[in-house]
Amino acid sequence: MSLLVSRRSLLGGLAATVPVLGGCGRIDHAAPASQLLDLADGFTRHMQRLILSGRPLVRELKPAEISAFFPVTGTSMPPSDDFRRLLDGEFRDWRLRVGGLVERPLALSLAELQAMPARTQVTLHQCDEGWSAVAQWTGVPLATLLQKSGLQRNARYVVFHCLDAVPLDGSNYYESLDLLDAMHPQTILAYAMNGKSLPVGNGAPLRLRVELQIGYKNAKFIDRIEVVDSLRPIGRGRGGWWEDYDHAVWYAGL
Amino acid sequence: MSTPADIRHPWPVRLWHWLNAFAMGVLLLTGLLLFDIHPRLYWGDDGHVGMPAFFSIAAADRNAPVLQTELQIGSHRWDVSGTIGLAVDDGFGARDFLAVPAPEDWDFGATRGWHFLFAWLLVIGGLLYAGYLLGSGRLTRLWWPTRGELGWRSVVHELWAHLRLRGARGDAARRYNLLQKLSYLAVLFVLIPVIVLSGLTLSNSVTAAFPDLYTLFGGRQSARSVHFLAAMLLVLFVLVHVFQVFVAGFRRLMRSMLTGRYAPPPELPQ
Repeated sequence: MSLLVSRRSLLGGLAATVPVLGGCGRIDHAAPASQLLDLADGFTRHMQRLILSGRPLVRELKPAEISAFFPVTGTSMPPSDDFRRLLDGEFRDWRLRVGGLVERPLALSLAELQAMPARTQVTLHQCDEGWSAVAQWTGVPLATLLQKSGLQRNARYVVFHCLDAVPLDGSNYYESLDLLDAMHPQTILAYAMNGKSLPVGNGAPLRLRVELQIGYKNAKFIDRIEVVDSLRPIGRGRGGWWEDYDHAVWYAGL
Repeated sequence: MSTPADIRHPWPVRLWHWLNAFAMGVLLLTGLLLFDIHPRLYWGDDGHVGMPAFFSIAAADRNAPVLQTELQIGSHRWDVSGTIGLAVDDGFGARDFLAVPAPEDWDFGATRGWHFLFAWLLVIGGLLYAGYLLGSGRLTRLWWPTRGELGWRSVVHELWAHLRLRGARGDAARRYNLLQKLSYLAVLFVLIPVIVLSGLTLSNSVTAAFPDLYTLFGGRQSARSVHFLAAMLLVLFVLVHVFQVFVAGFRRLMRSMLTGRYAPPPELPQ
């Protein structure tokens, strides 16, 4: 997640002279400079995958190291009435839908997710803006869920569709992982933070924790998981909201 | 008596010098933009708004009617409104102060992309260059201080000459002087590796594969702080380096770094 939303809205209100909002969302991904960046990003991704070939786990910290305060960034409260109704009903009416290229589509309630084998980890969250904070996350390993749903033979990516519409262009936040990171033991769908129910600002009822990658990959307010063979047909085709909108790199291991 | 020109900088040296200068320029500009989005430095792993930073440039009170930019180092605070620019939020103040041009559709993701692209140029170029220095023998022949140079008499003499801005002339000017040798060695073999390693420590993938990097730098935020502070030392080196080029003869030295050929300034008549 990123502070950019709040900062840019603030900036737009305060200083119209700074043309930050001007060209946003209209990135020409076919421009030579964009293609050069994509090339470099591809090289960087290959190098990361090379050093990660031993499938290491990220460092886990001690509960005593949990940050006293954990910043809320991106959407702090999805503005829709639907979300308000779900929140008022303590997410009893919410279902996590798992669909797409799976053998058995699922619709799981929060209670059903909480009844599944859980993983708890204390990790360092790192935002692309430079800040970091430690929290404890509890949730269902994504691999467990995907084993439950089964995968069709052509499944390659897992897309997380979120409940929050991002003010900058009104489309809903989304993110995606390939199966390698989706199956990583520390990639979990967290419903609890620091031993308590996940707070709204941190993505209630369910958020992604993908510890191999940075902040914005960790989608909050997850509504639906879709398994696909290509990211092209989704959003603007680059695999995530920031990737579409702001040239953010899709494989965000740094 | 004029001294003949000889090839001082073979082509790999010149190529690396200019590519590296360009890479460092892009890395500095994009790095300042990246710093500016969270212009606070911390020590340890934890570091975010709402906890003390040992260095920051930010609005003193974001809700004040007239925003005031504050530079904070440790427990010292200075009002730098007007001189450092307008801090709207965390960031943006330094962006004005640094006069980094913000393109029409400046986007943060691309800034990171350019930073990493030119980091590759710095790293790959630096490794090739270090290999060349070792392999060609230039490292021991030209960069390594001789025993005589390290004697206290020679050190004092060299310092005094630098303070008076008296450069070497004649054949002596064909060699690097002691301070030059030490600073080149420090930059290529200490400062740049520290910058690269501290930068890599900011990566989830790299620290997953090499968790000892956290131990080396004392945490994620410490690595970020080291990264920026070391980059500022590199800027200091470049400033002194360019200053010395002007002191020691801009035309001669620029010619030698462009064409390779160098003719030292002639000896002064006794």
